[in-house]
Amino acid sequence: MIRFQRVVQGCSLALFVFLLWKASYPLPGWIGVDLFLRLDPLISLGAMTAARTFIPALAWGFVVLGLTAVLGRFFCGFLCPFGVTVDLADRITARWRLRRPSGDGARRSGRRWKYWILAFTGGTALLGISSVFLFSPISIATRFFGFVLFPLANGGADAAGRLIEDASFFLGIGDFSLPEVRMPVFATNLFVAAMVVGILLGGLRVRRFWCSTLCPAGAAFALVGFRPLFRRRVSEACIRCGKCERVCPTGAIADDFVTTAHSECILCLECMDVCPVRAVEFKSSLRGAETDAGVDVTRRALLGSTAAGFFTAALVAASPGYLHGKLAPRPLRSSSLIRPPGALPEPEFQARCVRCGECMKACLTNTLQPVWLKSGLSGLWTPAVTARLAGCDQNCNVCGFVCPSGAIRPLEPGEKLFAKIGTARIIPSRCIAWEHDRQCLICDEICPYNAISSRFVEGRPVTVPVVNENRCNGCGYCEQKCPVEGESAIVVEAHGELRLAEGSYREQAERLGLVFHAETAREDTILSPGSPAEDQGGLPPGFITD
Amino acid sequence: MKYIDRRDFIKISSRGAALASAGAAVPGLLTHAMAGPVPEIAVAKGNPPGAATRAAIEALGGMGRFVDRGARVVIKPNMSFAKGPEEATNTHPDVVRELAVMCREAGASSILVLDNPLQRVEMCLERSRLKEACETIPGTGVEASRRKRDFKEVSVPLGKSLKSTMVMKKVLEADVLIAAPVAKSHSATGVSLSMKGMMGLIYNRSEFHTRMDLDEAIVDLCTVLKPHLTVVDASRILSDGGPGGPGNVIRLDTVIASTDMVAADAMAVERGTWYGRRFKGSQVAHIRMAHERGLGNMKFAGRSVKEVAV
Repeated sequence: MIRFQRVVQGCSLALFVFLLWKASYPLPGWIGVDLFLRLDPLISLGAMTAARTFIPALAWGFVVLGLTAVLGRFFCGFLCPFGVTVDLADRITARWRLRRPSGDGARRSGRRWKYWILAFTGGTALLGISSVFLFSPISIATRFFGFVLFPLANGGADAAGRLIEDASFFLGIGDFSLPEVRMPVFATNLFVAAMVVGILLGGLRVRRFWCSTLCPAGAAFALVGFRPLFRRRVSEACIRCGKCERVCPTGAIADDFVTTAHSECILCLECMDVCPVRAVEFKSSLRGAETDAGVDVTRRALLGSTAAGFFTAALVAASPGYLHGKLAPRPLRSSSLIRPPGALPEPEFQARCVRCGECMKACLTNTLQPVWLKSGLSGLWTPAVTARLAGCDQNCNVCGFVCPSGAIRPLEPGEKLFAKIGTARIIPSRCIAWEHDRQCLICDEICPYNAISSRFVEGRPVTVPVVNENRCNGCGYCEQKCPVEGESAIVVEAHGELRLAEGSYREQAERLGLVFHAETAREDTILSPGSPAEDQGGLPPGFITD
Repeated sequence: MKYIDRRDFIKISSRGAALASAGAAVPGLLTHAMAGPVPEIAVAKGNPPGAATRAAIEALGGMGRFVDRGARVVIKPNMSFAKGPEEATNTHPDVVRELAVMCREAGASSILVLDNPLQRVEMCLERSRLKEACETIPGTGVEASRRKRDFKEVSVPLGKSLKSTMVMKKVLEADVLIAAPVAKSHSATGVSLSMKGMMGLIYNRSEFHTRMDLDEAIVDLCTVLKPHLTVVDASRILSDGGPGGPGNVIRLDTVIASTDMVAADAMAVERGTWYGRRFKGSQVAHIRMAHERGLGNMKFAGRSVKEVAV
C-alpha cells in the first residue's frame, strides 16, 4: 500500500520540478514559479535580517513557521522537495548504511548541529551578510535541480532525439528531425553536485541525515514546533517491541519508545503504521508534556554559534574583496561583473540574493551564470551576465519575475529596457576591423540598440566600430557575437550600470540622457559629417563609385 | 537544391541539346508555349505585400514555372532578428505566407522556410511573425537551425576565397530554392538582399568576416547557392541602420521578382533610397562583383522588365 505521506511527497516533488521547468521565457501567468523558495522560513528570516527590510513575497515562510507550531515539522515530512530527495537517496544508500547509532545520547549529539548552523546563519545576517544560501534546503534543491539535473535531462533528451532520428533513418522508417532540446550550461555545476551528493551520502550513517543533523530550516521548525498541538502519543497498550523506534527516519523516538523528540518528528506516521498493537496515535493534545524530549540545544551553544557567525561575517567584511563598502566607485570590484538588469545596488543585492539559481535556470539566453569568488566570498553563486556566452535578450525580463527575494526587481519590458547593466568597450588591438583592416561589423549588425556605429576613421581603409555609450545598455550581444577567437574584441563592463533600489529606471535613464528605444535611436552616425575617407568619395561602406 | 552528378549532367544536357535543336527547327516554339513573352524581371507595386508578391510572380509566368508537382521547396527569408515586420529587419510575413501559398497551389509537397538567425531562435520565429504567418498552410514548416549536424560540407569550385562551406542539408535536399529577402541596408556590404541573404543558409558565417573579403565571399557562396527564384520584399525598406536596425524605414510598396538574383538585387537597390541617397546596382561592391563574374546581370538596358500594379 502506498502511504499517504509518499503520495503527498511525490506530488510535492513533481510540483517543484514542474515549477522549476516552467521557470523560463515566457513565464506562466497563473502561478509563481518560485513558490517553494518562498515557503522556506530560513530564506525569509535570513534575507529579511540581512537586508533589514520586510520582504512581503517571503512572508509565506512565516506562515509555514506558524503552522509548524500547530502541526510540527509537516513541511519536512510532506512538502520539502529536498526532504523527498533525501528520502529517495536514502533508499539507495540503505544497503550500505552503517549500524544505527544506538542510545539516546548518540542520537541527540548529532541533532545539535542544525541549531548551530541556524544560529551561525543568523549571526552573519546580523551584520548584513547573507549565508542562507549555503544551508537553505530549498535553495540547495533549486540549485541542484536547476544547475545539475536540468541540463542533464535536456542533454539526455536531445541525445535521445538524435538517436531516434538516426535509428528511424537507418531502419527506413522515415527521415525526420525532432526539435532540438537546448542544454544550458552552468558554472560551478560540479561543485553544486558534489555538495548535494556529500549531503546525501550522510544517508550512509542515518536516514534523513540532512534533515535531522544539518538543516537550519529544520532547526527553525524544531524550535517553533517542539511541542506542537498535533503530536505523537503512546498508549498503555505498548508492548515495547521497539518497531517504531527502528522505523523512525529521524531518530525521534527514544529508547523507551514513548518519549518523543517532537522537534525531530516529521509526521511521517511510519511508527503508527508499524505498531502491531495500535498503541501509537497522533492526536491533538493540549495537556501534558511528559513524553516530550525537548530541544537538543543549549542557550550557550546558540549564543556561541551566533557570535561565530557574526565574527565570520565581520572578517568577510574586513577583506578587500568585499563589495558592500560604500566606497564609490568601488575600486576593487571586478569590472567584468555584470549583474542582471534590475539587480538592486550591490549591498542590498547580496543581502537579499539567496543563490537559489532560479534566475539563472530561467534565463532565456543562459547568459546568467553563477559566479565563484568574482564578487568576493560573500557573493558565491550570485548571478552575473556572461556576455561571451550569450547576450541579455532585450525582450526577456524573466529573471526579475522569478526572483523570490526581490534581489532582482521585477521590471515590465518598458522599464527593463532602461535597466542598463553595463557599457560595451571596444579593444581595438583585438578587433579585426581596427587592427587587421577587415570588413567586419558583426557587433554593429547585432546591436539591438544601435549603440555601435561603423565609421570611417582617418588612416583606416575600412569602417571601424565605435560605441556610443549613451545608447549601449550593456546587453552583451556584441561581445557574444564578436568573431575573434577566444576573448572578445568588444567587452561589456560594469561601468555606467544603473542599480536602483526603487523608482523608475526609465526616468533615471532619461535624466542621464540614455537612449534605448528604437524610435529615437536612428542611425545617424554612419556618415557623420567630415568622417568618410577621401578615397571613398563619401560613400557608405559596401558602396563603390560607378 | 540538388547537385547533379556526371550522369545527370549528360542526360540533361542531351535533353537540352535536343530541345534547342527542336527550337531552332521551329522558331518561336519555346516562347509560344509559354503564352506570351516572360519578362526577366517583374516589379509589382501595391499593398498588401502578399498581393504584390502574387502579382510579381504571376507576371513572371506563375509559380508553376518554378515549382513542379511534388517538389520540395525551401524559402529563405530574413528572420535573423527578434523584431516585428514594422522594423524592416525581417521579410514581411505576408510575403512569405503568399509565397508558401503559391508553392502549395503549384503542388509543392513540402515547403520549408529556413534561416539561421542571429538571435534566439524562438524569439526570432515569434517576433518576426513568420511562424504565425505560415502556421495554417499545410505542408509548410518554419525552422531555424544552428546545429552543426543539420549542415553538410559543400565545395565551392568557383570560389576565390571561399573554397568550401557547410550548407543546411534541407537546402541541399530541396528541389527549389526561393530567396525572399527584405530589402535593407547593411553596415558592411551596403545592402543586404538575396545574395547577402544566402549567408543565412550556411554554418560558418564568421569566417566571411574574419578570414575573407566579405564581398568576395558572398559572391563565392552565390556560385553554389543559386535560387531558382528571387523575390525581394521592398514593401518597406530599412534604408539605414541595417541589418539589425533600428533605422529609417521607408515604405515602397514594391515586390521584385526575377530568376536572376543579381538583377533582382540591383533593381531593389535602384528602387530604394539608401542612407539618404540614390544608388545604382553597379555601385554596390558585391553586386558588381557578381555581375562581373557572370552570376547574373545587374544592368537593365535592353532587358524585359515588367511593371505591374495591384
